[in-house]
Amino acid sequence: MDDLKRLEAKGLARAKIRAKRRRVSSIRGRTIRGALGLFALAWAILFAQLVSGNDPALSRASSVRKAVAASQRTHERPRSQPVESPEVEEPEAVVPIEEEAVPVEEEVPLEEEAAPEVEEPEAEFAPEPEPEPAPVITSSS
Amino acid sequence: MILAASTSIGPHLFWITSRAAGIAAMALASGSVGAGLLISARGTPRRGLGGDARALHEALSLATLGAIAVHGVALLGDQWLHPSVFDISIPFTGGYRPFWTGLGIVGGWGLALLGLSYYARTSIGQSRWRSLHRFTALFWLLGIVHSLGAGTDAEQPWFLLALVLTAAPAVVLLAGRLVRSPASPAEAPVAVSSRMARETRHGPVPERSA
Repeated sequence: MDDLKRLEAKGLARAKIRAKRRRVSSIRGRTIRGALGLFALAWAILFAQLVSGNDPALSRASSVRKAVAASQRTHERPRSQPVESPEVEEPEAVVPIEEEAVPVEEEVPLEEEAAPEVEEPEAEFAPEPEPEPAPVITSSS
Repeated sequence: MILAASTSIGPHLFWITSRAAGIAAMALASGSVGAGLLISARGTPRRGLGGDARALHEALSLATLGAIAVHGVALLGDQWLHPSVFDISIPFTGGYRPFWTGLGIVGGWGLALLGLSYYARTSIGQSRWRSLHRFTALFWLLGIVHSLGAGTDAEQPWFLLALVLTAAPAVVLLAGRLVRSPASPAEAPVAVSSRMARETRHGPVPERSA
């Protein structure tokens, strides 16, 4: 009888140990799966942020880049705005040389500083357009 | 669409992986610390749910260490940071936010050493190991400070929500533990002696040897 009881007790103990091992291994498995799921979820959130252009670090970097670019434009614009078009800018650089050649006409020295930007293009085009006016009149008529 | 996304993410793959692993490590560490504090809380049964909490604590700790390892190693592949092995393993030497990153490295090493010391507790000595193991909470807090100071997503609402949700239970348990800590020196010998008595009665407890 004692042997039977001992065997039963041993069997029970083994069954308990087995059940406990099973429980522990299931806890480990669930924890590992949960950890992987957590990692995947975090990765997906970060990926979505990046693809949608809302990533905090990249948007900060791009906004800094934009701000720097904007500030550079604002520094440049005051110089380029009054001229308006590149076609007029070119004459600015060229005209002074021609002016110096033309100003032999004596009077200009004081006006040169005030009127260079507006008048110069006209002065530059003035010599060439002389033959043109005739066709313009013919076309309009 | 997928092609465009994959090409745009290419240069950031390691960086995103590192960030995701860091977030996972933070949540897992909070869970592990919470489970550890539950185990040592007064009135928690040693068997049944208490035993499950012990297994959960161990599994969460190992998962945390794995996530921390991925968090650091993934940075080695990042094309922008270009950190060296020394940068990610030696505190306060890296070029990117050295102070906050250094705190994270200290926290990571602390968690690794104290966590893995569980498997060497017989040679360390149970009581010494128990007193050392309490410092795990300090390194966990360092990790949280690191995530707030150096984390790219530290200002994102979803990140802060996740941080609060995962860390709050552990913080409450830790506060409760610290509040009643004056009594703990008297409790510790009792806990140790009761465990020794149990072990002498039933032999070595299998869940600890596992």
